[in-house]
Amino acid sequence: MTKRPILFATILLAAATTLPLVVSPVAAQQQNDRARQIGGKFMCMCTCNQVLTQCNHVGCTTSTAMLKEVDQGLARGDSEDTITQAFVQEFGTKVYAEPPHSGFSLVAWSMPAVYLAIGLALVLFVISRWRKRPVHVAANSAGRSGISPELLERARAQAARETQD
Amino acid sequence: MDVFGSFALLLAFVCAMYAFLGGIAAIRTRNPLLIKSTRQAGLATCGLIFLATFSLEYLFFSDNFASAYVVAHSNRSLSSFYKVAALWSGQEGSLLFWSFLLAIYVFSVLIAYRHKNGELMPYVGVVLAGIQIFFLTLNNFVASPFKALGVPGIHGAMDLVARGDGNGLNPLLQYPEMVIHPPNLYAGYTGFSIPFAFALGALLARYPGEKWIHLTRKWTMIAWGFQTAGILLGAHWAYAVLGWGGYWAWDPVENASLLPWLTGTAFLHSVMMQEKRGMMKVWNVWLVFSTFLLCILGTFLTRSGVVSSVHAFANSNIGSWFVGFIAVILLVCLAAYFKNRDYLKSENQLDSIVSRESSFLFNNLILLVSCVAVLSGTLFPVFSEWFTGDRISVGTPFFNKVNIPIGLLLLFLTGVGPLLAWRKTSLDSLKRNFGWPLLFGLVAGVIAFPLGMHGFYSLICLILCVFVTSTILMEFYRGAKVIRARSGASFLASAVELTMRNTRRYGGYIVHMGMVLIFIGIAGTAFNRDVQKEMQIGSTMQIGPYSLLLQNFDNKVEKNYTAERMIIEVSRNNKPVMMLYPERRIFPANQASGTMVAIYSTLKQDLYVVYAGQSPDTQSPVIHVYLNPLVKCIWFGGVVVLLGTLVALLPNRRAVLVFAAVQEPAGAKSFAGTLTPAPTLREGHD
Repeated sequence: MTKRPILFATILLAAATTLPLVVSPVAAQQQNDRARQIGGKFMCMCTCNQVLTQCNHVGCTTSTAMLKEVDQGLARGDSEDTITQAFVQEFGTKVYAEPPHSGFSLVAWSMPAVYLAIGLALVLFVISRWRKRPVHVAANSAGRSGISPELLERARAQAARETQD
Repeated sequence: MDVFGSFALLLAFVCAMYAFLGGIAAIRTRNPLLIKSTRQAGLATCGLIFLATFSLEYLFFSDNFASAYVVAHSNRSLSSFYKVAALWSGQEGSLLFWSFLLAIYVFSVLIAYRHKNGELMPYVGVVLAGIQIFFLTLNNFVASPFKALGVPGIHGAMDLVARGDGNGLNPLLQYPEMVIHPPNLYAGYTGFSIPFAFALGALLARYPGEKWIHLTRKWTMIAWGFQTAGILLGAHWAYAVLGWGGYWAWDPVENASLLPWLTGTAFLHSVMMQEKRGMMKVWNVWLVFSTFLLCILGTFLTRSGVVSSVHAFANSNIGSWFVGFIAVILLVCLAAYFKNRDYLKSENQLDSIVSRESSFLFNNLILLVSCVAVLSGTLFPVFSEWFTGDRISVGTPFFNKVNIPIGLLLLFLTGVGPLLAWRKTSLDSLKRNFGWPLLFGLVAGVIAFPLGMHGFYSLICLILCVFVTSTILMEFYRGAKVIRARSGASFLASAVELTMRNTRRYGGYIVHMGMVLIFIGIAGTAFNRDVQKEMQIGSTMQIGPYSLLLQNFDNKVEKNYTAERMIIEVSRNNKPVMMLYPERRIFPANQASGTMVAIYSTLKQDLYVVYAGQSPDTQSPVIHVYLNPLVKCIWFGGVVVLLGTLVALLPNRRAVLVFAAVQEPAGAKSFAGTLTPAPTLREGHD
């Protein structure tokens, strides 16, 4: 009876000691991927104006230090928010690679949708007007501008040829 | 020579002023002599700008280190090849280069239309002279490239001096593409001045819309082609030189080049609405105005320092000049529009929403939304600083998130638009044109998903690429089949003949095909991989199917730089396939350093190797390797786009009816010397 718990404890201990050998490369890889993922959300502060993980400066000490900070944060078990706040405190809001989804930055995110909505409304408005409108007789500007009707007709015919179906 | 160049620029300014003011007087008085003399003043302006530009190049080639600009951007050991490029490597020289390219366009227009369009050309000449005056003001009085090198003298005055050697050219610019990328991009920017001048001139002269559109179509396409080439060459330069494994970083200067390209693309599409149906006249005029304004805005962004960029020129006060110029252009355009807007009334109505007309509207909408989104993203850091006091960066992730869906919508319209009929498209026609392409696209998606393409955007991109390719190929197939049936020529010859008969339409399809290839290349980015490792001689690293062995490293001494060079053997399945030599170069003239990437490129993927420098801790070389799939599609797609543009610029070949002898059927009675006239299709050129 007493041997069984000892055997169980030995197996548990052996598992506990060998597990890191199996798991730690995976965990390290995961941490590395996570560090790259988080690093991709910041700008490098060396003035290269590039995303932290893409800084191409030969021997850039800024990006190396910043990436190390991300690595250390993850190793400590810091959350992404904590790491982000630390960077924002150190460098200000310009450290974000993309505007945060809060405050004034929401304007940046919402503008493309607003442009699309306005543009779509405009296009639909134009289409509805064009559909209702009677055919407008060509503004007879030809005579006024000194272009002969023949020349105008020739230009139209050429345009029609070049855009034919 | 610096005095000569400086004087030529000053004379050019005087001539441009005469062409502008005299041109206005000529329009008012309609005096033929005055019209002729202002045109000649325009030509003289161009000639003098050519002389000034050549004299600056002469200063570079003669190593004249009494010139401040030559000292700042060249040195004795700089190769002749890069001495040409040194011309546009700084603020002053690049502005002169801008004037030079603009002068080429102006000269060509004034010569090409010297006996044509007599009512319109004086207006065009005045607008072009106005643009030249602005740039010549900068060349002469704000950023002269002919300043002599001086040091403060004992009495407070500047003493002229000459240096023994110069500071050398920026290492990032010492790359072959940098000799051709800026000229292409600038030729695009300056080229849009021509459609702008014609549009504004036509509006002021109340000239028929179809005519000015027809006159400027080729100029717009030339400018657009150069802009496209410039953007792609810039992307390739960034890829091959900057060493971060990518080709487009949404940098403000890159964005600045994209903005007029987007509106220019919209114009090239919507212009057909005006030509074919007499619609969208207001829209087209404002698209041309906007394209030119965006060219100037892009130049302002690059040169003012208002947004930070690795590509930007040094900060200077030149920005305020550009703001003033943009304001003047905008005011003139608005005034001309409000004065003559009645002349821009549309002549037709829309018959159906499912029509070519609607597709152009939506195509323009998407292109414009993309343009405004990129512009507002580029300027957002400035706005955020104004409103909140904090500068918020807007980097690659934002632009990718916003522009990928827009790009996919555009790709969809690229397939749909050309197959819709003008006025109205029937349901049968929709089924006939889109049934098979849609099926091919979906089948491609179904096949690709189990093969590992799980990313939503990548999968949609693949489906759309197959869809668009199918629609284009089916268009060629249908047309070529008809010609083949008539002429009996081979299918390929028939397809070529089809293209040459309607170069604009089929050239456009080729451009679309190129864009599909570019989209395929961009979609490959989702599968990029990279590894960075400190290496010792003899150590290896693995990425994808490739194994890289660091064989050795050495030092290379060249005329203008020294380089630390890694010697890397690339193997695949234990078989050596390639030797790569990534470098880090040191330029003694300005103590700057730069990378030289080594790329093993195949159709499937690029193995991209960067020597990232020595590790600060161990002094071992650090090698960064990227495996980038399908990048070659982007460059190949770019070539196809340019090829399509060239085809679209060619005149149409017309099928003509000629009389030819018809073979008498066997047994039929024949009469010697008698031919039966029967119309047979034979090809002939205009």
